[in-house]
Amino acid sequence: MNILCRSRILVSSVCRKSSLIDQSAVPRCTSLIFKARCHRLAVNLSSCQQRWRYGARLKCPFESKRCYTDRGEGRFTERPENLEDETEEVEDNRRFCEVFTLDVLISLLRQENAVDLCVIKVPDHIQYADYFIVVSGVSPRHLRAMALYAIKVFKFMRNHGEPHVKIEGKDAEDWMCVDFGKMVVHFMLPDTREVYELEKLWTLRTYDEQLKKIPAETLPEDFIFDASEFTK
Amino acid sequence: MRLKPLYSSLGLDDVSIATAAIQKMTRVRVVDNSSLGNTPYHRPPRVIHVYTKNGIGKVGDKVLLAIKGQKKKALIVGHKMPGDRMTPRFDSNNVVLIEDNGNPTGTRIKVPIPSSLRQMEGNYSKVLAIANTFV
Repeated sequence: MNILCRSRILVSSVCRKSSLIDQSAVPRCTSLIFKARCHRLAVNLSSCQQRWRYGARLKCPFESKRCYTDRGEGRFTERPENLEDETEEVEDNRRFCEVFTLDVLISLLRQENAVDLCVIKVPDHIQYADYFIVVSGVSPRHLRAMALYAIKVFKFMRNHGEPHVKIEGKDAEDWMCVDFGKMVVHFMLPDTREVYELEKLWTLRTYDEQLKKIPAETLPEDFIFDASEFTK
Repeated sequence: MRLKPLYSSLGLDDVSIATAAIQKMTRVRVVDNSSLGNTPYHRPPRVIHVYTKNGIGKVGDKVLLAIKGQKKKALIVGHKMPGDRMTPRFDSNNVVLIEDNGNPTGTRIKVPIPSSLRQMEGNYSKVLAIANTFV
């Protein structure tokens, strides 16, 4: 239930912020999302359903917050999928007005109490990604939870064509990395962040301090340039 | 017009270039700014094991190096052997030191790194994150 609530808060907060979506589309989106998750979760939400649908017609974030606290569960629990699906509303759910954009990711990370969120817009001439995000966490468990939640939301929102995304560095507890095509997110502990200083590198590309400290390459004294090697 | 070296006119010009990327006992060049890779030692770092099915290491493969009398894992980021068309070929066999958990040992890489690493299967985002230039 919690994943649904949080996704709703997330999506509705993004919907609010992005002016591309008009007000009528928002409740439709959220009710669609609700229908999507509803028949896949094994929780009996019949009484909750009416409240949700009602809430969807009003201002979404307010209602969803109320629902979240009503449940009273503080822990993030995963319900197993139930095979008894009443109706196949799969086709409806594919027409999402939400793509996994930067806004979604940022609001997701803020929701997870990420520490020191840093988003860097990568210039076009570096053809690596569009956005480079570095996030700190409180503990390795926190980092792992953030990374897994980000992937979960991404899977929820992705279309057919986009490839899957994996977490790199699962066994390294202090630095995890997720590469979503246009965005790359690095989850690090504060100490690791101090060591690597990725933000400095990616903002001041060649003028980075650590790069300057690398001594320039010098040829050894007995080096002989053999031109024949290069004419092959 | 290419000037032919003297010994080619003597019929001795079959100087062979790299034929088999990186395998055991190849000497490699460590390109990050780790202390282990940059302090001088009387022996160059050598590959002692390649973690692939055949013993040949291409870009993106992990290898085990012997550096300064210790064993260290590393990632190949460029080799002298010509690879696919439209992938860069380097003049030295470049390697980035890596810990067992996949974190890079150094913090910066000055040497250009092939951007094709991003599309490959494997955990390369960390190495790409500390790289300065991409080829």
